[in-house]
Amino acid sequence: MGIMRMGYAHVRVTDMAEAKDHYASTMGLYETRSDTTAEGAQRVFYKGWDEWDHHSVVLEEGGVGVVKYGWKVEHETDIDDIEAKATAFGLTVERMSTGENPEIGDGIRFTTPSDHVFEVYHQATAYGTEVGTHNPDAFPRHLVGVGAPALDHSLITAEDPARMEKMLIDVFGFYATERVQTSLDADHDLVGTWMTSNNQIHQLAVIGGPQGKLHHFAFRLDNWNDVGRAADLMTMDDVPIDVGPTRHGITRGQTVYFFDPSGNRNEVFAGGYLAFPDRPTTVWTVDQLGKGIFYHARELNERFTTVLT
Amino acid sequence: MPNVSIPALDEVIYLGPDETLLSGLYKAGYSYTVGCKRGGCGICKVDVLDGDFSYNRPIAATVISAEERTDGTCLSCRAVPDSDVTIQMRDDEMRLVNPFLRQINEKARRRAEALAAGTDMEQ
Repeated sequence: MGIMRMGYAHVRVTDMAEAKDHYASTMGLYETRSDTTAEGAQRVFYKGWDEWDHHSVVLEEGGVGVVKYGWKVEHETDIDDIEAKATAFGLTVERMSTGENPEIGDGIRFTTPSDHVFEVYHQATAYGTEVGTHNPDAFPRHLVGVGAPALDHSLITAEDPARMEKMLIDVFGFYATERVQTSLDADHDLVGTWMTSNNQIHQLAVIGGPQGKLHHFAFRLDNWNDVGRAADLMTMDDVPIDVGPTRHGITRGQTVYFFDPSGNRNEVFAGGYLAFPDRPTTVWTVDQLGKGIFYHARELNERFTTVLT
Repeated sequence: MPNVSIPALDEVIYLGPDETLLSGLYKAGYSYTVGCKRGGCGICKVDVLDGDFSYNRPIAATVISAEERTDGTCLSCRAVPDSDVTIQMRDDEMRLVNPFLRQINEKARRRAEALAAGTDMEQ
């Protein structure tokens, strides 16, 4: 099937001690590794309790924003397939070897038309979920804080969202579940696109904006109650909430947006509907974007479009 | 314990010890558009026209350029004044959203001034 999921989001943080407090104590992720890069930057690797691969979030000290994303493919041969498609699309692809990323196997690396670095791999060290695979309980008894089970998706910005959408279709085999357009006419401009390769409502969304920037990366929760509880915990831990709890019109997901201690925007996301490749793409016109993003307030706040890292 | 002067509003706000500009102004009842409040986005920038400040926690190098580090550009969410400062807002205006907090701040400022001058504050 090609791309199965976003395997990891690797982001920069300005202060590792504060970042660890946020991602481990508030979000409840499990630290699986800590090391220092050849350049001397400290790194910490995390996984959610319901993820089985070694890590899904990597923090690297020094700055803000996204370093790169990892995408896990189903079959080893998918890497060659995506390499060929990326080359045909006009991208410069390099091979990456086992160990370039700890606990991650061979793969390819390329820079997208939006100036983000993508890595595609098949093998990752299996760590196991917290509840195991044999007669598992529904959740771990001693979760910390929000206890986020897994990384869910990310939203990035690009000067030309339409070209990123085409890349994600041609190279990754993604399809758009929802789009925001300037009009319903054939000559519309694409404002944003929500894309996936499977039943997950979106794995990566792209909206118009500067090159190479991070809007947010999101953690998956089960339902409204969990979203509300996460918001309560953020208040207890003095985490700045950007918006929510509210619902998205786009994807119908339930959400809270908030900021990590470096200013990277995070989200907790629950609900939404199942995606299928033959489902008609939902289209929003830009005059209804407020309702599309924040279904209840029906208007965008200034931060949503201006705060990027 | 520095004062923050805002000439455009003819206003002087009193900040507690080690308090950031943003936190102090919010606590004094004022509000303006900010982003992450964590030194990562740059939405809360104000210009410091007079006085000194330092950052109490790391800020992202990408948010403040080398030039902006010397021209008075101030990331108000993590800037702690080292002396009395005079500031000027940029695109956004500062709004008084809680007059009660403003009154409390005014009292605290007058109390501190009286203490510094060695006189009792008039009741």
